[in-house]
Order: sequence, then structure tokens, then C-alpha cells
Amino acid sequence: MSQVSSQAPEADAVLRSEIDRSLRHPVMFFFTSGAAWLAVAIFLGIISSAKVHSPGFLDGCSWLTYGRVQPAHLNALIYGWGCQAAFGTLVWLMARLSRQPCRAAGIILTAGHVWNFSVMLGIIGILAGGSTGVPWMEMPVFAWVPMLLSYGLISIWSMVQFKVRPAGHVFISQWYILAALILFPWIFATAHILIHGFSGSPLMAAAVNAWYRSALLFLFFTPTAIAAAYYLVSKVTGRAIYSYSLSLLGFWSLVLVAPWAGMQKLTGAPIPNFLPYLGAGATILIAIPAIAVSVNLLKTAAGAWDKVVNSPTLRFTIAGVIGLLVTGAACVFLNVPPILRLSQFSLSGYGFDVLALYGFFSFIAFGMIYFVVPRITRREWLSSRLITMHFFLSIYGVLTIALVAMFGGVMQGQAQEDFTQPWENAMTYAYPYAVASTLCWCILLFSNVFFFLHLALMWLRLGRRSSHPTLLGHDHHSSLHDSIHGPEGDIDNAGPGSVPAH
Amino acid sequence: MSFRQFAFGLTFTFGLAWVAVVIVPFFMMRSLEPVPFTEIADGKEGIYHPKLSGRVVNGAEVYASNGCYSCHTQLIRPTYAGNDLGRPDWGGMKLDEERGDTRRESNVFDYMAEDFAQIGLNRLGPDLSNVGLRVENDYAKGGDAREWLLMHLYDPRANPKRSTSTCPSHRFLFDEKEIEGQHPDAALAVASPEGTAVLPTAEANELVDYLLSLKRDDAVPASLNYGPATKPAEEKAPAPAAAAEPAQG
Repeated sequence: MSQVSSQAPEADAVLRSEIDRSLRHPVMFFFTSGAAWLAVAIFLGIISSAKVHSPGFLDGCSWLTYGRVQPAHLNALIYGWGCQAAFGTLVWLMARLSRQPCRAAGIILTAGHVWNFSVMLGIIGILAGGSTGVPWMEMPVFAWVPMLLSYGLISIWSMVQFKVRPAGHVFISQWYILAALILFPWIFATAHILIHGFSGSPLMAAAVNAWYRSALLFLFFTPTAIAAAYYLVSKVTGRAIYSYSLSLLGFWSLVLVAPWAGMQKLTGAPIPNFLPYLGAGATILIAIPAIAVSVNLLKTAAGAWDKVVNSPTLRFTIAGVIGLLVTGAACVFLNVPPILRLSQFSLSGYGFDVLALYGFFSFIAFGMIYFVVPRITRREWLSSRLITMHFFLSIYGVLTIALVAMFGGVMQGQAQEDFTQPWENAMTYAYPYAVASTLCWCILLFSNVFFFLHLALMWLRLGRRSSHPTLLGHDHHSSLHDSIHGPEGDIDNAGPGSVPAH
Repeated sequence: MSFRQFAFGLTFTFGLAWVAVVIVPFFMMRSLEPVPFTEIADGKEGIYHPKLSGRVVNGAEVYASNGCYSCHTQLIRPTYAGNDLGRPDWGGMKLDEERGDTRRESNVFDYMAEDFAQIGLNRLGPDLSNVGLRVENDYAKGGDAREWLLMHLYDPRANPKRSTSTCPSHRFLFDEKEIEGQHPDAALAVASPEGTAVLPTAEANELVDYLLSLKRDDAVPASLNYGPATKPAEEKAPAPAAAAEPAQG
């Protein structure tokens, strides 16, 4: 995906910095407010998962009852952090790849504020007792229309940019960006209109909701993260993507398979029988795009492993790509028939969501933030230690939740299925894994303290005024007078000896 | 791959699934056909009339807005999908004094009175498809089912049999009111300062109404019951041991 430019390198660099400059306010807004929502989501996550094993914790207050904090936590994670990190990524990537400065930054910024405000009111609504009781759509019904409209205003300019791009090759990332941009409103509007707007069968409403949760994960967050990963891996390593055929396979298998997935969450419910079967089959087949994409990206990065180690961007991105592989494995493991009956109503459901949203999507979003923020603020990250702490603690947190999803939920399900034992037995089995998910959120809180602090300093324009990027590797530290900072070099995060980045 | 091909491919692949698993099933399930009993399978003729139990939507709203679905399901899966029917008091009552074993899987009519079927996300607590039945016939046997449920909502761990329950307390659904004179009947039997009583709010009463309405064990045509807990032949067997082994898919 190396960019072929007809312009001279200087003109090219000017265009790139023009694009970055045109988007600095909206993109920085999405990343910083997304990070603030991540903080909210983590705090609510600690409170809610602590309540699972210690029901007396902060009890008696209606705002903090488990059944309100848990939905508020997930909604903050999905719509506050996830969607906004995705918007920042999509908007910036599409502008760069279409080589167009953004001419509507003010409108995008305003729409971003509307989105934020709607999410905030929605989450306050959930905590205040106005939840609709529809998973992932708990925000009171006033919230979704402004969210959809502001999404339209955020995304339309990226589509326009693609339309008026200079003629030439369409990058792999652009397929994924377009898919995410087009499918998000389709999925979001379908679910909200059918569930809130029609008095249909209550069971099909529940089935559409299960489909929505799966589709949002696999057809919005997944393509967004893959778009960013394709861009970042080839950009930072300076290498062409390993295989074009694998890219094609990865893309089309995802859009072919993912729309059928989701309704296996209602296995055994009185809905038409083919729906859960199709859902389970499709979710298992998600492993195909997961493997195709991650093999393609890992093969691309394998030729420049020193950069994976040294570049914060690449390290997070590659960890996210491995997260995609693990998510694909979890799709198979948790949905094969003998396991589905165990994982259907256990901690696996939540664990899987967190694994996909954090272990895969968020890691790549962090990679994107570490790449983009220095370019739009024209400052470098302050400290490689903060980044390293963020990275390793996040890895520990994700490993913990993956354990809960893959192992804990199944143990719990096994105990639930053993009907000769009293019901309390199942809760006894779930207990250690409930503690583990609290532990996971505590680790992620620690991890992200470093990230929030760092991002806030960058947002205050207190980053390093330097033209050399912040790198992580040890070999760079020893040779320098200031061990915190990387060597002199290009402003791009690619490390020494890389091709000039674009 | 031109943009036209791309857009067509994306619209077609997504649109096909969207129509097939979302739109068509959603609208086809809006109107349900009545299900008849048949002489051969059920031993009687006629149409199955689902049992309705008054207004439950207000209580269902309280259930939804307080996130009960985070820990409780309302789905008795057929035996091919899980062992829910094996438990003696989930799909109905295994030892119903009048009707024998009433356990059955959930059917499409069970959710008719609600706007959204609260299938649930996790089973940190037991399934609630038949919680009304369970409270009346078991937990609060011989006592007042309403009072038992209100006490459970107020403090799930107050009951010595349930000291390990992880259900959150819903004290916020109750008011501590100053009273003069006679102690109100509706007051909960919990300690409160002198001259006050703990009274359930309207929301608490609605929620309890809803929970007590959850009795999904009426006899259904065999065509709605994929894998009954007890086969009709066994049902007539006098020894309860014959009915003890649930079918396992």
C-alpha cells in the first residue's frame, strides 16, 4: 500500500501537513473525549464487576445498582470510547488516503459535540433509571436520533473526499473505511427503528438486538480497526502488504459472513430455528477473515520486527492484530455446538465483548492515536516509559479478560448445566472469574492512567518540540545522552533508516 | 475492483443477510398463527389459548430499567440447547400437586404481553421464566408470596437460606415513611427508626406484580414442545422416579 505520488516530496509533505492541520480540531476532539469516556467506562466497569462478587459494594443507591451501572459501563465503552476513537480514525485516514484536506472540520467538530452530548445524556439517563432494557441500546430513546444525525454529519465528508480523490489506486484501508462508514448507519438505524419504532414480536426484537450487537462489533469496529491496521503496518514498516489476494479474501469473507452472525445468542428461544443456527455458523466462520487479515499483517510486519519492537504505534497495532486472531479463535471456541450451550448465558458473553472491544479494537485505536496525535499537534510524545507501561498493563488486562471469556464462562456454564446440583453451585464456579474481571478493569485503569496523562499533556500542547519520534527499544536508549528520547530522525514514527513516510 | 463493483458487492452481501435474517423474520413474526391441539399428540382437540395474566408492562419496564436481564434470563431452552428442563422448578413445577409435572420449554406466546422479550445476558441468578410459580409453591409456601418477593428485593441476603445470594439490594424501590397510629399492612417486616415504616413504592409493587405473573407452565400443544421434560407416556406413570430422569438432547 505504498503511496505513489506524482508530486515532489516537498509538495507531498506540505499536502500531508495541510491535511493534518485541517483535521486537527475534530480528530483531537474525538481522541481526547474518547479517552475521557474510556476513563468513565473503566470506573463504571470496576464498580459493576465488583458488584458481581461483592453485592454489598456501594449498594442501596439507585444510581449505582448493578443493573444500571453495567449497561452504563458498556454504553460508555462502546459509544463514548469505541465509536469516537473509530470516528477519529476513519475521518483522518480517509482524508490522508484520499489526499484531500478536510473542508468541513467545523461541522465535524460540532457534530462530534452533539454525539458526545447525546451519549452523556443517554448514560445519565441509564443511571437515573430510564434504561430501555435493550442490551447495548439501553440509552433512553431520545438519544439515538441525534446520534444517528451527528454520525451522518461526521461521515458524509469522508465519503465526499473519497468521491473527489485524485484518480488512482484504491487502498485496502479504504475498502474497510467505506464498509464501516456505510454499514454503521444501516445497522444502527435498523436496530433502533425496528425495536423502538415498531411493535413487532417481542422475541424478534430480542433477536434483532442480538444481531445488532454482533453486527456493530464485526461490521463497524472490526473494519475500522482493520483499516487502521493495514495503514499503520505498511506505513510504519515501509513495506508493501504481503498478499493482495489475502486482503481480498479477508475483506470479502468478512462482509459475506458477519451480517448473518449474532442470533446464536438466542439459541433455544422460540424464533425461527434457522436463525440461531445461521448465527452460530457465521460467527464460527468469522475466524476466516480474522486469520486472513492477521496472517497478512503479521507477514508484512515480520520483515521489520525491530520496528515492531521500537515503534509505539506498531507495537500496539501488532498486539491488536494478535488480538484479532484471539478474537477469531474465541468466535470458534465459544460457538461450536457443545460449547455454545455452556457459553450462551455465562461470563463468556461479556468477556468476549471486552476481548474484541479492548484486546483487538482498542489496541489498534491506541496504535492509531500514538501515530496521529504527534502529526496533528506537531509535538512528539513525552516519554517512552509511559507508553511502555500503558502497553504492558493493557496486555495483562486483556489476558485476564480472555481467560474469563474462554475458560471462566465455560466453567460457569458447565456448572449451570449440571442440574442435579443446587443452583448456587453455578455461582460458586463463576465467583473466581467475576473477581478476575474486576482485576482486569483495575489493571486497565492503571494502564490507562499513563495513557490519559500522556494524551492530556499532548492535548495541552506540552509535547516535545522535536523532530525525532519517541521510540521504545533499548538499543536506542543506550546510545543517547537522553535515554527517554529516541534518536534524531524523521518526524514520522517509523524509526531510523525507514523510507520517508507519507 | 472498481468502486461500482465494490459498492454493489457490499450492498448485496450485507443486504441479502439483512433481508433474510432481520427484515423478513421480524415482519413475519408480527402475526402469529393460532396453534391447535391434536387428538394424536395431545389427546384433545381445539386451539391453544395462551394464559394471560393482567397488565405486566409497567413491571416489565421496572425490570428493564433496573437491568435485571444482566443476571437473569427468561428462557427455558429445549433439551437440544441446554439442560434447563432438568431443573425441578425452572420450566414449571416437577411436582405440581394438582397437575403433575408441568415443566415445558418457552414458547412464542410466553412473551406476548411484553414489548421486548427479556431473554437475558447471563445467568448469575436463576432463570425467571417461572419465578412466580416458584415463589408461590416453594419459597413462600404457606405464606404471602408478595411479601416474600418484596423482602427479597429489599434485602436478598436477609433470608437465612439465601445468605450467599449475590443479587443487589433494591432498597431504593422502598420508602421509609413516618407513620402515625396503626402500622400499615403493606409495611415490610424490617427494622426502621421509631415512628417510621418501610413501604414499597409503586415501582416495587409493579415489579412484584410482574414477577408473580411469570408462570409459563400452562399445558401447550405437543407441537410447541420440542423436548418435554417428561414424555406424555411417562407422565401417567405413578412412580415419581420415572419422571425424574429428564430428557437430555
